[in-house]
Amino acid sequence: MRAPDLRRRARAVIVGSGVGAALRPMAQAVAALLATLLVAAALLALGGHSPVGAAHALWQGAFGSWNRFASFTLVQATPLLLTGLAVALAFKAGVWNIGAEGQLYLGALAGAAVAVSFPGADGGSALWLLPATLLAAATAGALWAAVPAAMKTRLGVGEVITTLLMNFVALFLAQYLVQGPLQEARGVFNQTDEIPAAAALPPLLPGSRLHVGFLLGVALAGAAWLYLTRTAGGFRLRAVGAAPRAAEISGRVAVQPTIWLAFLVSGALAGLAGWVQVAGVTGRMYEGLSPGWGYTAIAVALLARLNPAAVVPAAVLFGALSAGGGAMQRDAGIPEAWVRGTEALLILALLAVDRGLNAARARRGPRGGRRQSGASDGRGPDNLLGELHARRRSEPAPNGAGLRSEADA
Amino acid sequence: MTAPATRLRGVSKRFGRVVALDGVRFDLAQGEVHGLLGENGAGKTTLARAIAGLLPVDAGAMEIGGRRIAFGNAALSRSSGVSMVHQHFSLVPRFTAMENVALFDRDGWTWRGVAAPGRRERVKARARELELDVDLDAPCREMSVGERQRVEILKALMGATRVLLLDEPTAVLAPKEVEGLFAVLRRLARSGTGIVLVAHKLDEVLAVADRVTVLRNGKWTLMTDASATSAGELAQAMVGSAPGEDQAGSAPREGGVPDDCLAMPRSGAGSERSAAKGSSGAGLKASPVVASLEDVTHAGGNAPGLRGVSFEVRRGEVVGVAGVEGNGQRELAAVLAGVVRPDSGRVRLPEAVGWIPQDRTEEGLVGGFSLVENVALAMHDDPACRTGPWLDWRTVRARTAHLLGEMEVLAGEGPSKPAAELSGGNQQKLLAGRELFRSGDLLVAESPTRGLDVRATRAVRSRLRRVARPPSPQALEKPPPGVVLISTDLDEILELADRIVVMVRGRLAPVPPHRRSAAAIGEIMLGAVGKDGP
Repeated sequence: MRAPDLRRRARAVIVGSGVGAALRPMAQAVAALLATLLVAAALLALGGHSPVGAAHALWQGAFGSWNRFASFTLVQATPLLLTGLAVALAFKAGVWNIGAEGQLYLGALAGAAVAVSFPGADGGSALWLLPATLLAAATAGALWAAVPAAMKTRLGVGEVITTLLMNFVALFLAQYLVQGPLQEARGVFNQTDEIPAAAALPPLLPGSRLHVGFLLGVALAGAAWLYLTRTAGGFRLRAVGAAPRAAEISGRVAVQPTIWLAFLVSGALAGLAGWVQVAGVTGRMYEGLSPGWGYTAIAVALLARLNPAAVVPAAVLFGALSAGGGAMQRDAGIPEAWVRGTEALLILALLAVDRGLNAARARRGPRGGRRQSGASDGRGPDNLLGELHARRRSEPAPNGAGLRSEADA
Repeated sequence: MTAPATRLRGVSKRFGRVVALDGVRFDLAQGEVHGLLGENGAGKTTLARAIAGLLPVDAGAMEIGGRRIAFGNAALSRSSGVSMVHQHFSLVPRFTAMENVALFDRDGWTWRGVAAPGRRERVKARARELELDVDLDAPCREMSVGERQRVEILKALMGATRVLLLDEPTAVLAPKEVEGLFAVLRRLARSGTGIVLVAHKLDEVLAVADRVTVLRNGKWTLMTDASATSAGELAQAMVGSAPGEDQAGSAPREGGVPDDCLAMPRSGAGSERSAAKGSSGAGLKASPVVASLEDVTHAGGNAPGLRGVSFEVRRGEVVGVAGVEGNGQRELAAVLAGVVRPDSGRVRLPEAVGWIPQDRTEEGLVGGFSLVENVALAMHDDPACRTGPWLDWRTVRARTAHLLGEMEVLAGEGPSKPAAELSGGNQQKLLAGRELFRSGDLLVAESPTRGLDVRATRAVRSRLRRVARPPSPQALEKPPPGVVLISTDLDEILELADRIVVMVRGRLAPVPPHRRSAAAIGEIMLGAVGKDGP
C-alpha cells in the first residue's frame, strides 16, 4: 500500500466516519458564534460600553447561579426549544415555515380556552385536563399551519409569504379573543382568567421557576432526532427537503403528503410552545405573550444546523442571551436592543459560513455533470440562504412525476 | 453572400467538467438566415450566448464586421450590432409594448432619464418598417406568445443591428405563428441583417435557413447550404452515426477521440452478444416477457406524450429506443418505471423497476446526501431494510459497500462522502448499481452516458451490457433483467441494443433487423414525421 493510499484511507476513517461528519456542522456553528461575539463586542465598544463589563453582566445574568440558570435561562429557552424544533423539522423538509409565531399564539389560545372552561379542576381530580390542553394546543397550531400547507400543495403559493402573513392574523385574533370572548371575568385586563391548577405544568426543580415543559421539549427533541436519522419516514422527509425531484423520481416518495406532514408537525410543535409557556410560567394567556420566539426560533434552528438534537443547546444559548440581556440592561446599562442585534448578527454569520463553504466546495470538488450555465448556483442542503431565496423549480409537480420535457440547449 | 460578417474560430467553453463547446467555428454572412442545429446540450445556446457577449469563453476568437471582438463583454457585442432574443422572454408583463421597447432603447431617453422627444414615433416607425404586427399600447401580459415574441424582436432591433440571434424561437409558437415569424425573418435578412436561428427541429430550419451549422456534443460537425442538404443528413450529423454506415464525408467524426476507445467495446459487444445467444439456445424470443405496454396513451404537457404505444421487453434483451428528444421518451420512461399511471391502455410491469433518469443530479441522486443515503433512496420501503418504522442503516451500508465494489465506483473517501462530490461517471455507475439493486427484472436507462467523458461512457456502457448479458448466465440464480435504453445517441443504441425502436411524436416505430444502420434509423425518425405531421 503506497503512501497516498494510506493517507486517503486515514482521511476516510476520520472524515467518512459518522463522528467526523457530525462534527463538521458543529465546528461551523461554533465558528459563526465566535465571529458574532467578536463583532458584538466591537459594537459595544463603539457604543462606549466596556465589553468586559457587559460580558460579565451577561454571564452573571444567565449562569450566575443555579437558580439564575434554571429560572431564567432554561425557562426562556423552553419556548425557543419547541419553536426551534418546529422550524428545524419544517426546514429539513424544505418547508420554509416562518409562521411559528402565529402557530404559537394559536396553541396558547386553544390550550387556555380549554383550561379556563374547567375553572374548578384541581390537580387531584382532573388528571385528564393537562393532556387535553396539550392536545388542543398542538391541534390548533397544526390547523393554523394547515392553511399555508393547503395553499402550497393545492395552489402552489409559496409558504414563506403565507406563513409570515398568518402570524399577523394570529396576533390580531389573540388580541380580539383576550379582549372579548376569552377575557377574564373581572373584565379589567386584556388577559384570560387564571388557568386551573390541573392545567398547569408542574415545576421541575423545587424552588425554581423551571417547569416540566423544558423536559417535554428535550424529550421531543430526542424523538425528532431519532425520527429524522433512524426511521424511514424521517429519511423520506429529509429527501424531500434536500431534492424533491430526486425524492419523487428515485425515492418514489409521495412528496405532497410529506410536505403536509412537515407543516402539521411543525405547527403542532409551535402550538405546544405557546401553551407550555402559559401553563408553565404565566398562568394566563394575554396579548403580547411572545417577544418574538417564533422568529428567534429560525435563528435557533439555523444555529443547530437543523439538527433536532442540536436545537437543545442552541435554544439554551439563546435563552442565556435573553436572560443575560435583561441583567445586562439592569446592571451595565446596555440596551436590550443589543441582544436583538446580536441574534441577527449570528444569523448573518451562519449564512456567511454556509456561503463561504459552498463556494469553496464548488471551486474544489467535481460536481456531477450539469451543462447548464446557471447550474453552479451552490444549492445544497447546507445552503440555507440560497434555499430561502432561490427556491426555483423545487416546487413538486402537481401529479405524478414532474415530467418536464426539457427544451433548453 | 459576400465576406462573412461574423466569424468565430476555435471557441471552447467548459462548465466544470462538462465541455459545452470544443473548438467550434461559425460563419455568418450579412443577409442570411443561418440555422444552428443540434440536440439538447449540443452547445447551441452556449454558442449564441458567447456571440452576444453574455459568456466568457476559455478559448477562441470572434470577428464581427472585420473587427476583433472580445468575448464576455455584452456591451461591446451590443455596440457591434449583436442582439439576442432569448428563449425565455424578458418583458415586463405590466408594461405596454411601447414601454418594454423603450426600456432598453438607448436612444429613447434623454440624459435626465425622461422619454426623448419623438421616441414614440421612432418605435412606431421601426415597427412599421419591420412589418411587425404589434399593438404598442397593449400591456404585454395580455398578448399572445407570438405577439410577445414580436415585441422582443422589435426591442432587439431598435438600434443598428447587424446580427440577430434567436434562441429556439419556435419552441413556444403554434404552427401558424411560426409561419409569421419566418416571414419576418426573411424580410429582415433581405434588408441585410444576419440572422442566427437556434433550433432543434429540422423541418423548420430547412424551411427558412440559407445555411445550416450542426453542433454535436459541443463540437462543430457540419456546415452546409440548406439547399444542398437533406433532413436525413442533418439528423445524422445531429445524433451521430456509426462508422462504416456513415455517408462518406458528411461530417468529421469525434474530433480528438482516439477511435479505438470507441471501437473496442463495440467489438466486445458483438462477441458477448453471440455468446449469450448461443448459450441460451433458442435465443431471445424464448425468454419471458418482463414488461409490456398495450395501446398506452398519456398526455405530456408540451411534449407529444404517448399515443397508442404497444411495447414489450423480454428478459436478457436490450431494447433501444431512439429518437429526437422530446418525442415522448420522458413519458415512456415514467410509465415503464411505474411512476406515472397512463391516461389509458394496459400496462404490465414487474414488481419493481429500476430507472436511471436522464438528469442524474436533479432526479437520480440527492447531491447533499451521502452515498449510503442515496442508495437508501431505493431501499427505504424494502422490508429487508426495515424493522417497523426503523430503517436498518447497517444493512443499507453493507449493501452500499457491496454495490460500490460491484460497480467499481471510485469513492475516494468512502460511502459517507456526499454524492455531489463524485465525478459524473461514478455518479452514473452508482445510480445504475442502485437501480439494478432495486429491480432484477427491468431497468430503464434514459440517456445514461450524457455529459460523460469517453472513459466514463465506456465504463457505463460495458456495465449496462453486462447487466442484460452476464458472461455466464447459468451461474445466476435468476435470469437477467430486460433493459430499455432510451437515448438520443444513435451510436449508443447501435452499440448496445438487441432490438431498436424509434420514437416519433409519441409513437413507436420498429426498426427491422436488416435495416440496422444510422441512415435507416434517421430515415424512420423523419419518415414518420412526414406521415404524422401537421
